Amino acid sequence: MGHADTRALEAWRLSAEPHYQATGDEVARFEAAAARRLPLLLKGPTGCGKTRFVEHMAWRLQRPLVTVACHEDLSAGDLVGRWLLDGDGTRWQDGPLTLAARHGAICYLDELIEARADTTVVIHPLTDSRRMLPLAQRNELVHAHPDFQLVVSYNPSPMAREMKASTRQRFCALAFDYPEPERETAIVARESGLDTARCAALVAFGVRTRRLQGQGLDDGASTRMLVHAAVLVVQGLGPDVACRMAVVDALSDEPGVAQALHAALDASF
Amino acid sequence: MSPVIDAPPTPLAQWLRLLWNRAPALHLDSPAPFIADGAIHLPARRHWQGHCAAAAHAAAHLVYSPTRFDGDGLVPIARTLLALLEDARVEALAMRELPGLARLWRPLHTATPDDGAGFEALLGRLARALADPAYADPHPWVAKGRQLFYLDEALGLPALCTPAALRDAAMRLGHDIGQLRLPFNARGYQPAPAYRDDHRWMWPAEQQAPAQPPPAPAAGPHADTPPPEAPPPEAEATVTRHPEWDRLIQRLRPDWCSVQAHGPRPVAPGDAGPGAAADEAAARAGGRRLLSPLRALTRPQARRGRGPEGEVFDLDALVDWRLARRLRSPGDARVYRAPQQQAGRGAVWLLVDQSASSAAPLGAPGAGTGPADRTTLLQAAARSAAAVAAALQALGLHCTVAAFRSNGRHAVRLDIVKGPAEPADGLLARRLGALRPGGSTRLGAVLRHAAARLGPGAGMGGGGPRWVLLLSDGEAHDVDVHDPHYLVADARQAVRAAARQGVRMACLALGAPGGPAGVASPLHGQARLIFGPRGTQALSDLAALPRCLRRLMA
Repeated sequence: MGHADTRALEAWRLSAEPHYQATGDEVARFEAAAARRLPLLLKGPTGCGKTRFVEHMAWRLQRPLVTVACHEDLSAGDLVGRWLLDGDGTRWQDGPLTLAARHGAICYLDELIEARADTTVVIHPLTDSRRMLPLAQRNELVHAHPDFQLVVSYNPSPMAREMKASTRQRFCALAFDYPEPERETAIVARESGLDTARCAALVAFGVRTRRLQGQGLDDGASTRMLVHAAVLVVQGLGPDVACRMAVVDALSDEPGVAQALHAALDASF
Repeated sequence: MSPVIDAPPTPLAQWLRLLWNRAPALHLDSPAPFIADGAIHLPARRHWQGHCAAAAHAAAHLVYSPTRFDGDGLVPIARTLLALLEDARVEALAMRELPGLARLWRPLHTATPDDGAGFEALLGRLARALADPAYADPHPWVAKGRQLFYLDEALGLPALCTPAALRDAAMRLGHDIGQLRLPFNARGYQPAPAYRDDHRWMWPAEQQAPAQPPPAPAAGPHADTPPPEAPPPEAEATVTRHPEWDRLIQRLRPDWCSVQAHGPRPVAPGDAGPGAAADEAAARAGGRRLLSPLRALTRPQARRGRGPEGEVFDLDALVDWRLARRLRSPGDARVYRAPQQQAGRGAVWLLVDQSASSAAPLGAPGAGTGPADRTTLLQAAARSAAAVAAALQALGLHCTVAAFRSNGRHAVRLDIVKGPAEPADGLLARRLGALRPGGSTRLGAVLRHAAARLGPGAGMGGGGPRWVLLLSDGEAHDVDVHDPHYLVADARQAVRAAARQGVRMACLALGAPGGPAGVASPLHGQARLIFGPRGTQALSDLAALPRCLRRLMA
């Protein structure tokens, strides 16, 4: 079985180190929680580096990382598994959560809150001292592998659903935010290969857009968007054109907000 | 040609927030720009670029200028020069931070040596010389001004950083003007280019030049008092009688209340109330934020079933069928996912409480100093209703918006602000903006009226969910009821009766949770009694509207 274990999760191992620029002691805190297999809730605005952080930590801890992007049609079956048909009849297929729990991986449920409420409940027995996953359809009780750890992310914006207290209270939380401008500049420069001066100008504009959060925008420009803009500049576009393409036109369809954003872009470069 | 601004200054306000994270009050009420009490006054209608230039200049003062200058001992010429140097200084700082502003301001400087060498012409030429490094001016005084002003012109670094340095430079330049014996009429002087404000903010009131006009009365979208207007003629009312629950005899008193439903009232142009235009844009923007919470009203009630044909296999059905076949029984051949059952479109009534107490402010006093704190409960209810109506329209749901107030059981007045077939547009925002507080809150009668219009047989909702949302400020009360529990018991009974007919009712309880005076609000307790804890959400900040609706939909 041990041999099968390694094979089952081989595809989920990270082959190279994902770069992550720490903004505080989040690495140490993640490691502390991981050492005791405590479930973790990563919360923060979209595109601020939560997923990259989990990838980095999985690589650092040498664990496979099973990632599921949650959406509103995600059913419990999509997570735990289902019966499939094959030539001989039926065959059980583990879902990503079961796979991680059975063979010992970090299971990362991205934007868990987007999943249907009944789906969220599935993780409950895995997140307390029981550490098990009942598969009712298969009449099986999966006891989580000692290396299994659950990590979920959550973007607490005014537009987002709220996480139920019964789910929320199972997790230790790590709060993320956009990095300080200098640090964000360094991240954008590293990810894109663009020089620091031009990255600083892109980041300064990105920081401006975040001022409209809750004032017409759900979220300002994410670090990811700024990296995209910087990449476009590396490709030869002007910084204003790159920001228009990667940030302004992507952020909002609201005519008034778009007008304000375009004018702010004109003023910035 | 630049687009003409026809919307409220919301994009402009958002732009200033983007540039400097400032949100000064913007008033479109003055022929020439000026700053007073931290608010920016701009011409009513102007091209977007022109508006941006004036707003950015004024906002740059708010960001980079000291609050006041001491004009004591300065002759008008020196004062005017000090103001010009300060204009140039804040613009230089702004352009260092936001280089694109140069493209906004520099084309508006049109002074040239051809304008002559009078003092006002020289002022214009100096202003241009300080704003535009590419501009060459042969006049030695202009060159001297440039030399005094800049530490490094190529870098846009002004040398004059303190009020004292500015004052000194202004006096030196003013002395030269005196030597040239150039006349100056301070009374008729308007700073050029026209996007620059008139500097009245710079001097203490007792030092103000007498020529400056007093601030124009604020008559723009943010004015506090609307101009008095004769109320337009009213549409004919339809009177409906509704029962009322008497908690003492534990039964309904039949035909006890008369609800007079008035159709939409024509809105006079000046009657839209403060910020109606802004509200319209806010409703459009706010409505988008409500789409996600309100989408629950459009979801099919029944879960997806199995069907004999379809595009996608229902895996469980397929497995069941296959198992059955192995067991040599025919099995259920409906192995496809049935097409999603289309829910009938839902219908919603939004009830806005416009009783006298809705004139109270939304936030707790002293909670802040922003303009939001001046929002009354009725304005908050109106804005919420406009945003919800816009979102419901976008979702394709029928929505009726009605405001109500009462004056005894025979005079429960219901103003239909928007019929189910009318669009949620600017007219709705104007009608909502025209609502004025008055009267009492006879809740039960109004809830029954809405429930009857949504109930079975009313032809609304087409089998989809039916919902009544009350936006209320005060406790249920009326002039002819003295038992404080009577109307609460009646309203609760109305909510339960509606639920039996399949009409859900909920309440957005407006106002600070602690109550306007900092005491426990009786309203939120009453609303919970009437609508239940799950059907009540306290709303003290309009930004929380999406979250409140999501909780009500949960």
